[in-house]
Order: sequence, then structure tokens, then C-alpha cells
Amino acid sequence: MIRYSLRRVVLFLFTLWLLTVFLFALNYFFPGDPLTNMTGIADSSSTAYATAMEQRYFAGSLLEQYGGFVHHLVQGEWGRSLVTERPVFSDGLTALGASLELSLLAMMVAFIVGAPLGIYAAIQQRGLLDRIIMGISLSAYSIPVFWLAQLCILLFAVKLGWAPISSQINPLYDIPTMSGAILIDISISDYEYKQAALRDALYHLWLPVTVLAIMPLTMLMRITRNAMLDVLAHNYIRAARARGLSEARILLRHSIPNSMQPVVRQLGLQFSMLMSNLIVTEVIFNWPGVGSWLVKAIYERDYPVLQAGLLMLATLILFVNVAVELFHAWRYPQVRKELYAEH
Amino acid sequence: MVIQRFWLVLGCCCLVAACGQAAEQPEPLRHGLVYCAEGNPESFNPQLGTSGTTIDATSAQLYDRLIDYDAERQQFEPALALSWQALDDGKRYRFELRQDVQFHRTKWFAPSRPFSATDVLFSFNRWLQPDHPYHHVGGGSYPFFNSSGLIHLIERVEAIDSYTVDIHLAQADSSFLANVATDFAVILSAEYGDQLLQAGTPEEIDRQPIGTGPFRFVEFRKDIGIRYYRHENYWRKPPGIRQLFYTITPNANKRMLKLLTGECDVIPYPLVDKLAELSTDTEIEVQSAVNPNIAYWAFNTERPPFDQPLVRQALAHAINRPAIIQTIYDGNARLATGVLPETSWAFSEEDQTYPFDPERARALLAEAGYADGFSMSIWAMPVQRAYNPNAERMAELIQSDLARIGVRATMVTYEWNTFRRRLANGEHDSVLIGWVADNADPDNFFRPILSCAAKASGNNRANWCDPEFDQLLIDAISATNRDQRVNLYQEIERAVTSAVPIVPIANSLRFQAQRANVEGVELPPYGGLSFRRARIVQDNEKAEQQP
Repeated sequence: MIRYSLRRVVLFLFTLWLLTVFLFALNYFFPGDPLTNMTGIADSSSTAYATAMEQRYFAGSLLEQYGGFVHHLVQGEWGRSLVTERPVFSDGLTALGASLELSLLAMMVAFIVGAPLGIYAAIQQRGLLDRIIMGISLSAYSIPVFWLAQLCILLFAVKLGWAPISSQINPLYDIPTMSGAILIDISISDYEYKQAALRDALYHLWLPVTVLAIMPLTMLMRITRNAMLDVLAHNYIRAARARGLSEARILLRHSIPNSMQPVVRQLGLQFSMLMSNLIVTEVIFNWPGVGSWLVKAIYERDYPVLQAGLLMLATLILFVNVAVELFHAWRYPQVRKELYAEH
Repeated sequence: MVIQRFWLVLGCCCLVAACGQAAEQPEPLRHGLVYCAEGNPESFNPQLGTSGTTIDATSAQLYDRLIDYDAERQQFEPALALSWQALDDGKRYRFELRQDVQFHRTKWFAPSRPFSATDVLFSFNRWLQPDHPYHHVGGGSYPFFNSSGLIHLIERVEAIDSYTVDIHLAQADSSFLANVATDFAVILSAEYGDQLLQAGTPEEIDRQPIGTGPFRFVEFRKDIGIRYYRHENYWRKPPGIRQLFYTITPNANKRMLKLLTGECDVIPYPLVDKLAELSTDTEIEVQSAVNPNIAYWAFNTERPPFDQPLVRQALAHAINRPAIIQTIYDGNARLATGVLPETSWAFSEEDQTYPFDPERARALLAEAGYADGFSMSIWAMPVQRAYNPNAERMAELIQSDLARIGVRATMVTYEWNTFRRRLANGEHDSVLIGWVADNADPDNFFRPILSCAAKASGNNRANWCDPEFDQLLIDAISATNRDQRVNLYQEIERAVTSAVPIVPIANSLRFQAQRANVEGVELPPYGGLSFRRARIVQDNEKAEQQP
């Protein structure tokens, strides 16, 4: 396990390092002054520019400049936005909070709803419900998110009035932005109308979470079903049945835990896919997360923000993937044994 | 049995939840208003810009001016100045200031004294004097004051005592009061300025603004919104709403949907083709107002081939303006016959534009040496303005018109603030843009967009500077007799027609849609939107019907 973990962590760090090299290089490939692209200081005659030049070793070689770049990156000094002149790092953190809230909730919904449905479909294999569930999952899976989001808005928000169209909360609730995640912000604030604000936030939250959850939900459903069918065909299940164990016991103690192994392995991959859908969903629902922040930055050629958005999303995806792999290997030892042919 | 009971309990829960929601709305929602703005403000100081979005978001909400213009009665009315008089043959104006006017009290500033002459000096000198400590803060360009000539007109501002101010002019000028009453001539707090200077953060003055207006600034998050709270010690009657929130919603379609779902109380620039649909909805009201504006197509006269009048005339002949009016404005606009709109007192019926004539256009191009045509860019605004609800569509129409005379046009667009910045740098070949007058004086249609001063301040989208034309403008502004001025403005119109730095396209109505329970948000004929009189009508009847 230690060897496996080390390898994963080293790979993670190596990828991160490549990412910083890529970002550093971007500053030179973007049009304009590299230092401006890095720090967001547009006025090259200002004292701030001169100080930044010194601090980032811009008089020295590229290697020294890269050193200065990483040093500032690690310290959380990511420069200022070219458009708003606000510090990128703190703005990025609140955006990340909003994105994490949305994506984690969606992932949770996908897992909590998708896995049981998959198990159910597997038990009912080739039954009517199995066919219905799989049919719906296939059609839901093939709907692109941008279209699904628009349809949901038209149906639930405009026609039925069950949900609002955009943003995290009715803006008239004056909740100070701390973490960016609206449920957390409401909970830690000492706002007078906390209950009402919380209700309003949930009212705003359910539609984007559902839209975002559909794709991983259908995937997880199919994966769970297949894994479950695979497990049910194994000899130890037959043996358990032969011993006269009840079907419920077989399901809960033997087949479900074992079928979760490939499902857990898929979670990381699903999260990466969720992230690309997250950007689309955030833009459509005006969700103040990293995705819409990044897209805005691309429109406005705001290079410091663009880099920060890239770095945050990429790091998050890498981190979640490594974390899922480590958990997977820890929870299911047979996997890492298979990997290294250990016995 | 158990399952039946479960459903019963669930049903009860739903019922309770539903009743809970139908009960009276929480206080912040009952006394707050959401305005879905079409874009981010550039800053919170209207002195620094001319963008209508910034003016709508800041000027009438945060600040007051010395005098206001009442468009209905067509006269000036007292605001921060109680009275004013012209002295020395109109070369000196004396303003008597109002006492006991309080500045905003916020987390970052606590005023120790009420408004006085010091604040007037501070606010005017900021843009008047290049050596003023705040002159270069926020870019140091004051496009309105430059292009309207106010910067050169005012010699100095003098405080006679704490509540009397004299403004000395270089020469008598009939547009002076009109310019002082515009949304740009706002009054800032000198005390706040001093405090920020000492703290070493002068740029905060335009980001965390302090004024005397009906609302005080709370927070701004780019692309999300601006939060204002009511100024409780406002010298007029404080507004009827406690909170005002500007939600940034650049997409016109989404703005309309949000109005339908009640997420917006008021929206600007609703889609013209959906207006009829909106109007039938009893919860939605649509207002329209005559707006002194002009949509035009400006050529960058500094770039070849647009430096040749022949080419500009050819292009003016090439576009089918009546078709554009029909498609883009859906009949809600008038084909422009010159730069001045019908509502101006200097307007004349004489048509001073080029008729649609592709044959003539091709002949003119050949004469200019471009028989085979050329390539050009048309910049189209990314936002809707009162004068142009859909610049991108308009650019497409022009594109196909131009293709007929062999000119290959491509459309260019950027985010609004970037777009304006690049325009000011003169990076465009031609641009579809427009102008909304800030006051009733016809001068406001020419000097801010076509003078040499406007070129210097980056507001002259045609980059056109003709000293003779400037002289005409000065003649027109110094004349005191109205008939004489009307004649001079006709001459100016003819000068624009023969040189064609811009092709006037349309004068349109300005639209606004709102929820039926919002009152007092009227479209102003000049300048920015004001929420001072806004009120939400409480729906008591509806509440009583619910148990």
C-alpha cells in the first residue's frame, strides 16, 4: 500500500509540476507583456510593476523567473485581475467554494440515486423495470447538458414556477460571501432571516444540482448494474444461496459490497466529466463558480484569472482522481495486488 | 396500512411546507427591489465615463448634482444648490448651497460634517485641475467634461463662504447650466477624499463610493451585482424601498425570462419582438419613452480607405436603412434624417442622409479607386442600448448589403468594457454605436461625438477632427438667439452629411418592462435611471386570501 500510495502521490506532484510549467509558459504565449499577464499590473511605468519585476526575478534567466513564479503561486499571490484589479486568489477561492458545493452535491445525488437504481435493475434483470430504467438512463445520458439545462429552465422555472432561473439565492438576502458555498455562508452568518434564506438557497440549488447530476447518475446506474450482474454470477454467491442464506443477506453482505469496487473506481472519472459539465451549467445558471469565472476571463482576455481558473480546475480534477484511486486501493486490496502481481 | 399512513404524513408535510411558503414574504423581499442591469458598471464615479450602463447604475442612486433638469416642465430645479444666478453677463454663476445635507455613513466612512462648498470645489476641481491630487486617479480622463467643452469653459470655481460658490467661465455659454445638470456633474465628499489620501488608497474613492444620494453603496461583485441600501438621512424624502439590487444579466432573453419568474422587478431594454407577448401578461407592464438618441455607423476616418469621403459616401449609399429599421426595431424607431432626433428643437424636416442606391455606391467606389472593393471590419456592440437593441444582427444586415458592392465585411465584437476600451484606441474600421443625449441642448449631439476634443478623449468613434467644423460648433454654442442657433445647427447637419464621418441610422424609443407592483421607476428622457421614487405596492389582498 505504501509503495502504491507513494507512486500515486509522486505522479500527482509530477503532473502538478508539469501544470505549473505549462501555466508559466502561457504567460509568454499570451499576447502582451508576460509580467502583466502574470501579475495583472498593466501600467509598466508604475512602482508596483518595478517591484513585481524584482520580486519575480524578471531581470534574470527564465529558470529564475520560473522559480519566482512558483514561489508566488505557492504563497497564494496570484496577481490581480486585469479587469477588476481585485486579487485573483481570494476571488478564486470563493468561486471554488461555489463550484465545489454544486459539484459535490451533484455527485452525492448521482451516487445516492444512481447506485440503488443500478442494483435494483440488476436484481430485476431483463424485467420490465430493468428495461425502463436502462432505457431512461440511455436517453438521459445522450442529452447534452446545455440543452438539458435550457429545457429544465423552460419547464420548471418558466412554465411551472418551481425554481428560479439563475444565481445562488435571491440577491435581496444580504448574505456576506465567505466561502462562496451558499449553504455554508448562510449557516455561519448571523443573518436575521436565516431560515428564509436557507429555504431560498435550496430553492435555487435543486435545479442546477439535478441537471448536473443526471449524466453521472445514468453512468453510475449502468456501471452498478453491470458490476452487480458480474458479482451475482460468481460462485460464492451460488455457494451462499446453497447454504440457505436469505436473499436479503446475500445482497447486503456479499453482492453489494463487492459490486461497489468498480463503481468506486469510476467515481474519479465521473468527477472529471462532471467538471466539464459544471462549466456549462454554471454559465447557464449564472452560478458564481470557477467555471463561469473562467469563461468570463476568456471573453475578457483576463490572463491572470484565466490561469487561476485553469490551475484550480486542473488541480481539483487531479486531486480528486488521486484521492479516489488511493481510497480504492486502500479499500480493495485485491486491486493493488493485481496491479503489482503481489500475493 | 403502514404505507398508507406514510403517504398521509408526507402529504401533511407538503401541505405545511406549502402554507409556510404562501405566508407573508420575509422583510428583505417585501422592501427590496431587483433591477436586472444589462452590464457591469465601469466604475462608481460617473465623472469618469459616458457609458449609459454606468450612469444608470450610479449617478442618480449614489449622488446628487447642484441642479436638476425637469424635462416635463423644461426647466432647471434646485438640488444641492437652492438657487443660482448668472452674473457678469453670463460669465460668472453664483450658486447658493443647501444646508444640512448628509453624506452616506458606511462601514468605511463616517462623515463628520454635512455637505458644504468644500465638496463642490473638490468635485469640480478633480476634473478641472490637472494638478489636483485626484485628477489622475481612475485614469485621469473625463470624457464628458472634455468633449462637452466644460473643462475649458470653466476658468475656476471659488468658494465665497461655506454655502456659496461662484463658477467663473471663460465666455458666456448657453449650454453651461444644462451641462451642470447632467448626470456626470456629481458631488463627491471632500472629507472622504482627504481620508483616503491619508490612508494612501485614493483609488478607493471610485470603488467604495460616498455621496449624498438616495442610496448608499454596500457591495459590488463583478458579473453578479451591486447592492445598495436606502440612505436614511437623505435630504429629500428617502426612497420607499430599503434595498436596491442590480443583478448583472447581459443576456436579453434571460432578462425577460427572469422578469416573468419574478426574479427581476424591473428590466431595461426588453426584446422588441417579444414586447407584445409581455404586454398581454397582467403582471408585467411595459413602458416606452421618447429617448433623445441616435444610432449610427461610424467610420474610423484615420484608417485608409475610410479617410476618403468618396468611400464613406459610397458605403452610406450601399446600406438599406429602411430594411434595417424594419428588422431590428420592429417599427419602434424612426429612420434618422440627420444626427438630431425629431424631439430636438433644432430639428428640421429636411432629409440629410444618403438614399439606398447600390449602383451609385459602386460608381463612387470606382471613382475612389476601389472598383474591386476591399475588406473591412464592422464592430458591433455586445449589449443592447436604447438606440440599438441588436447591433450584431444589424452588422449582419449591413454585411450582406456591402457584399453587393463588393465590400467584404467581417463582424467583430468583445465584452462591453473591452469593446469600449479598444474603440477608444481606434482599433476599428467601422463601428455600429450610438449616442444618448445628456441634456436638451442640440450641442450635446455634436460636440461629444464629432469634435476634435471628443477625438482626444476617445469618444469620437469616427476619429474625425475638422477645425472648420469645430468652429461651427463654437459659433452655434455662443449664439444666444434661438432662431440663429437653429440655422447654425442646420449648417452643422449639412457639414456632417457632406463629410459622412458617421451614417445616422435610427432614432428609437427606449423600453423598460417591470412587474406590475413596482411604482415610481420612470424612464427619464435625459440621463440615467433613478430609483428615488421607487415603491413596491404590497399585495395585501392576496395575503388575506391565504389561510
